[in-house]
Amino acid sequence: MFFAGLFAIYFTLRSTSPEVWSQDSALLNIPFALVNTTILVLSSVTCQFGVFAAERLQPRATGWKISQWGMVEWFFLTYAMGAIFVTGQIFEYAELVHEGLTLASSSYGSAFYLTTGFHGLHVTGGLIAFLIVIATAFSVKNFGHKEATRAIVVSYYWHFVDVVWIGLFLVIYVLK
Amino acid sequence: MIANTRLFWVLSGFFLVASIAYTIWSYVYYADAPSELQNELGIEWVGSIGLLLSSTLAALIAFYLGRLHKAQGAELPEDRLDSNIDDGDAEQGFFSPWSWWPIVLAAGASLLFVGIAVGVWIAFIGAGLTVIALVGWMFEYYRGNFAR
Repeated sequence: MFFAGLFAIYFTLRSTSPEVWSQDSALLNIPFALVNTTILVLSSVTCQFGVFAAERLQPRATGWKISQWGMVEWFFLTYAMGAIFVTGQIFEYAELVHEGLTLASSSYGSAFYLTTGFHGLHVTGGLIAFLIVIATAFSVKNFGHKEATRAIVVSYYWHFVDVVWIGLFLVIYVLK
Repeated sequence: MIANTRLFWVLSGFFLVASIAYTIWSYVYYADAPSELQNELGIEWVGSIGLLLSSTLAALIAFYLGRLHKAQGAELPEDRLDSNIDDGDAEQGFFSPWSWWPIVLAAGASLLFVGIAVGVWIAFIGAGLTVIALVGWMFEYYRGNFAR
């Protein structure tokens, strides 16, 4: 609902000032954002493998093969990919500010930073949640259904944030 | 569970039919509307898309419940005619009898947002308190007397 509101802001401003849109959206670095998006989507896949491990009640790896990985290893990988996404987004912001697009520069800037920025905050919250799930997996002797459920719930959140980004990417970078 | 699934499939179909009917109806009605209310296509998009999305969301829940029903392996007591009321007495989950951590977390978040509004240095204290409260709450039943 919150993101629906942000999408509404974006589309309303876009319909009232189309010339600002065509001018400012040309500044976007599409290939870079596409790579970043791919990393985030793949992190959803690794997150789901972590959930499969949690459903086997297997917190840690039993060997070096990927098929023997436990939830912790998969979630660390997911965490790294999510962190790369946020880092890439900050890098992208820095580039855009360098080219003169800021939160206050135009209605496009406001809409762009509000939508992607709030998504970035949600990703950061998800990263903290992954750390807590990993920490609880280390602090129990017996990894049980309570811990598995926590991992599953966090994965739902992660997939949701991922889907929102796919929507944002299609609207901001593809439709322009 | 089968009943729930079917109800949501019915709802989905109903909204789909309603969306189509609404589109045709608004198309016909728009011909008589004042010119400032009309658009080029003569379709009122808000209602059409809203009803179509309602249909999609109902289908989503129906699909999810269907998958859940397939995965649960047996019928739930509430779906069986020969079950008793106490057969449905499932585990309700774990609830903390009392905890001070939510208050600490609320204080941390308040300080964080006050800091953003008034002076940024307060926000750092608020952020620190928020992290402490989050970890404290999450690990309340993992350490000390309650460690498992």
